Amino acid sequence: MSFRLIVCASVLLGLAPVCHGDDTQPASSMWEFLRTKYYGDAPMGLVDEGYMSLEVPANTPDPAATPLTLHFADDAHIKRARVFIDNNPSPLVATFEFGDTPVTQIDLHVRVDRFTSVRVVAEKAGGGLEMRSTWVKASGGCSAPPSAAAGGVLGEIRLRPGENAKSLLVSIHHPNSSGFQIDPRTGDNIPAHYISHVRIEAGGRTLLDAETGISVSENPTLRIASDQALPAPVTVDAVDSVTQAHFTASTASARTAAAQVPAPANGRN
Amino acid sequence: MIVLRPRARRRFATLLSVPLFAVPLLAVPLLAVTCLLGGAEEGGALAVDELARGVYVHRGAQLPLDVPGHDDIANIGFIVGSRCVAVIDTGGSVRIGRALRAAVRRRTSLPICYVINTHVHVDHVLGNEAFKDDHPSFVGNATLAQAMVRSRPYFVKEYAQDLDAPATLEQVIGPDRLVETELTLDLGDRPLTLRAWPTAHTDCDLTVYDQKTSTLWTGDLLFIGRLPALDGSLVGWIAAVDRLAALRVRLAIPGHGPPTPHLQEALAREHGYLESLLQGVRRELAAGDSMQDAILHVGGDEKSRWLLFDEVHPRNVARAYEELQWEK
Repeated sequence: MSFRLIVCASVLLGLAPVCHGDDTQPASSMWEFLRTKYYGDAPMGLVDEGYMSLEVPANTPDPAATPLTLHFADDAHIKRARVFIDNNPSPLVATFEFGDTPVTQIDLHVRVDRFTSVRVVAEKAGGGLEMRSTWVKASGGCSAPPSAAAGGVLGEIRLRPGENAKSLLVSIHHPNSSGFQIDPRTGDNIPAHYISHVRIEAGGRTLLDAETGISVSENPTLRIASDQALPAPVTVDAVDSVTQAHFTASTASARTAAAQVPAPANGRN
Repeated sequence: MIVLRPRARRRFATLLSVPLFAVPLLAVPLLAVTCLLGGAEEGGALAVDELARGVYVHRGAQLPLDVPGHDDIANIGFIVGSRCVAVIDTGGSVRIGRALRAAVRRRTSLPICYVINTHVHVDHVLGNEAFKDDHPSFVGNATLAQAMVRSRPYFVKEYAQDLDAPATLEQVIGPDRLVETELTLDLGDRPLTLRAWPTAHTDCDLTVYDQKTSTLWTGDLLFIGRLPALDGSLVGWIAAVDRLAALRVRLAIPGHGPPTPHLQEALAREHGYLESLLQGVRRELAAGDSMQDAILHVGGDEKSRWLLFDEVHPRNVARAYEELQWEK
């Protein structure tokens, strides 16, 4: 664990003690640091669950892929939302920027390294901040070995639209290595390698623009939902942190690929 | 938890033959020892039953992994040949491993030539260290070697209290003899057929078949009573269950739960759960539902049939969801 402590210490420039676990209560001094860094001393609303809410199972089914759900009111008019996991080696999980179509739900699978608070902070279009938080008991989500079922095509994207096209489940095949995992063959650290950016457009306009990091699980999974049908086509563009390669997919091409398979060259069916 | 095993019952019967006034004096320390060791025999040896000639099994308790006694939850044991002994899984701590070794020594002075691990999970491998001085060959699925390398730091960190203090990586002993597909070991007039399985319960499952008594040790490919825990591949596990169901054996020893002569029946029940998990998660994915929704919706009708359902099922759904997202 010394490696992780060193990383924490260097990130925090001398605030290393907050990297140590606390068995009874998630440490909060990390949050003071993050809050000041991102929001200064601006006040935050904390209570209206109808406006925004955050759900994470307190006992996660899988520390390396903990399901996290954000709900927003359809008239919330949120410009930007950040998700934080206080006690992860890289606490900023994702920054979401929203377009015009109201997004009412985001699901994301995240790594949770140890007992921690999980937070979402929303910046309203008209100004003002809202925060919701909860806590999760977990251990080892960032250093969990790559899954035994790993493999497949790097950057392959699966899109699964929901009922009446009001939602889209996006699965991106990618190791999303946290930098804290060990290669079982060599015993060495696997370098961080993740999806750094996901842009989702609906009907040619931005639906969601997300900056993402190492706290997102292997095979990043993102689900977005709205109260209304998402304007077609919905396209996804994901960027690789190491190669800067763009992986793309579209509900239109998925449909046309199925509907307009060109006739084989030899003319036979 | 006090379970009166046959041997313990005999001990209590002996107590009744002493003058009544002495019973409390004798019974109190005896009960205390039984409570402390849980399923132990005299001399710190683990309680084992000879379920078939030369096949000795210690029944693990159906407990979760985060409570006292969590190191004694798997079925472990040994088989005695005319030349030597094979130990099959060693329990979840060096302490349990030593108690198992003591049980071997109470029954035979033949050397322990093999320690076989059915897969990588702590409750089956952390007792390996107790057999080191016997210099056995440690045997496992060829993929177990890598799984041990992968898991060793985690075990030492999270299960330090189950190893000798100070906990070291060296105490978590991996295999030196690897089974690629099938391997027969002879204990002296006693051939054991070991079979390595493709990813199922874990990515390193191994079964052991004792030809002499037609006894199959399934490892955790078969759970009885306790909810099966998915840590490999759901699709692979169902395929393994189907292959196991084709076997005709006189006795099956599951990784958890009571040994049974009715292998097919037990497999059918496990198959029922795994299949409902498969179909349920596929349905959720097809509808584009979230993992949280899948955890809420899938498999609830199986709850009454299994122990530890609430502790294990959400994780199974999560693992299945992660796997099945990538189905062709």
